[in-house]
Order: sequence, then C-alpha cells, then structure tokens
Amino acid sequence: MRSESRFRPLKIGDILAIVFFLFFVFFLPKNKGEKVIISVDKTNDFVYPLNQDREIIINGKLGEAKVVIRDGRVRILNSPCPLKICEKKGWISKKGDFIICVPNRVIIRIEGKKYDAVTE
Amino acid sequence: MQSLNRIAFLSVFTAASISLFVIESLFPAPIPGIRLGLANIFIILALIFFGLKEALLIGILKSIIGSLILARLLTPTFIFSISGTMASTLIMWLIISSRLPFSLLGISIVGAETHIMIQLILATSIFLPGVSFFYISPIYILSSIITGSVTGILTYLFYSKTKRRYKFCVD
Repeated sequence: MRSESRFRPLKIGDILAIVFFLFFVFFLPKNKGEKVIISVDKTNDFVYPLNQDREIIINGKLGEAKVVIRDGRVRILNSPCPLKICEKKGWISKKGDFIICVPNRVIIRIEGKKYDAVTE
Repeated sequence: MQSLNRIAFLSVFTAASISLFVIESLFPAPIPGIRLGLANIFIILALIFFGLKEALLIGILKSIIGSLILARLLTPTFIFSISGTMASTLIMWLIISSRLPFSLLGISIVGAETHIMIQLILATSIFLPGVSFFYISPIYILSSIITGSVTGILTYLFYSKTKRRYKFCVD
C-alpha cells in the first residue's frame, strides 16, 4: 500500500502542470488569417486575400449580398436574408472564423497559409 | 476471500462511475462538451488500488454502458467519450507509476486535459474538418483545469476515506 501523503494535494508537479496548460492557452500560435473563402451553395468558388480592401457582390440563393474586406477583416454589409444574422455577426479576422448565412446559402471562412497542425 | 473483495470493489467502482456519468450527462452544459467528469474519481481510485487494466476496464464499461443508458451508443459522442477516457487513463497511469511529484489534484487535471484534447483533436480532424483546433481549444483547456481540480480534490477526499477500508478488506 502506498502512503497517503503521496497524494496530498498541491505538489510541485501540479503547479507545473497548471502553469504549462495556462501557458498553452495564452501563448497559442496566433492565427492570422490570410485568405477569405466565400462559398455559395457548398461550392468553394471565391478566394480573396485578406490584406487588400475591397467590396464584393455575391449572388446567393435569395439575391445579392455585399461583402466588405477592410483592414484585414471581413463582414457582410447587406444581405437579403430575413433575420440578418450574418450581418449581426460583424467583423471576423481570425483563422478558422466564419460567417454563415443559411437562407442565402453563403459561407465565408478565413483560412491561413497552411492548414492546422492537427488536420495537416 | 481477497479476490471476492476485489470483485466487489471493482463492481462498486464501475457502478458508481456509470451512475455519475449518466447523471452528469443529464444536466445541460453551458458549452457543449463541458462536464465535471466525476466518473474520473473512480478511474483514478482504480488506478491507485488495482492497476491499469482494471482502470481501463472501468473506463470502457463506463463509456459503453453509460452510452447505452443515454441511447447514444456508437454515435460520435460515444466515440469521443471512449477514446478520451482510454487516453486519459493511460496518461494518468503513466504519472502514477512513474512516481513523479504529482498529487491527486495534478493527476486529475492532467487526466481532464488529456480527455478534452483527444476529443478536440478527434473532432477537428474527423468530424468537423473546417474548424480550427487552436481556435476552439482555449476555452476547453481553461475549463478543464477548473473541472479537473474539482474532481481531483473530491478524489483526494474519497481516497483518504476509502483507503483504510480497502486496506482492511484486502491486506
């Protein structure tokens, strides 16, 4: 039988583990997005660089939606959908972030240069 | 007599972990996937009292029977649950058997982290390939530090209470 004091809370290893995981959370690789991928009706068809400002008109299922890329961020400015959830999502800028407009069948994603370390 | 006591202990641990798993899953979670992980108490205790094989058995039985009760056998949730449990049991066994200066708190936190990491890696690589692992992981890592320490403290309390009784039964 092992001694009880072996498992008494707070040993040096616990603190090291907590510090390690906190470190992992706060110093994760910062995901700067590079590409904006706009897909309409599940087909990837428009890819734009995130660092050039522009306005794009997308022909969705319901009608024309206006997308703005400015200062490394993307948003949907106008959309013909009824609830305007995609407009309310506002600006997105990080890799992996997305705006989805279900009625208009528009998905806007941001991707980096490469895929994740995990999915690679 | 010893093996009878052993079987009795193991079955009580299994039953307790299954019921905790089921009850816990019935509560709505603030963010999908976040649970306290109370069933882990009995897996850690099994690792200390018995060994890797028995703890893995409890974990696998917990996942299978618990999912059967909750009617989610062989769904993605079940796959997450069983793989996370097995991975975290292995890692916790490595820590316990290597005699590193970890207390039950640290063991439980590392177990909780492994559990959620395996699930996130599975989720982002197989089930949701579009979602970035690094984008969704911070909140899960932070929350599992908290839930892991709660479970670890409970495990220590339980351990200091059960140890004497276990010694009396087996030694």
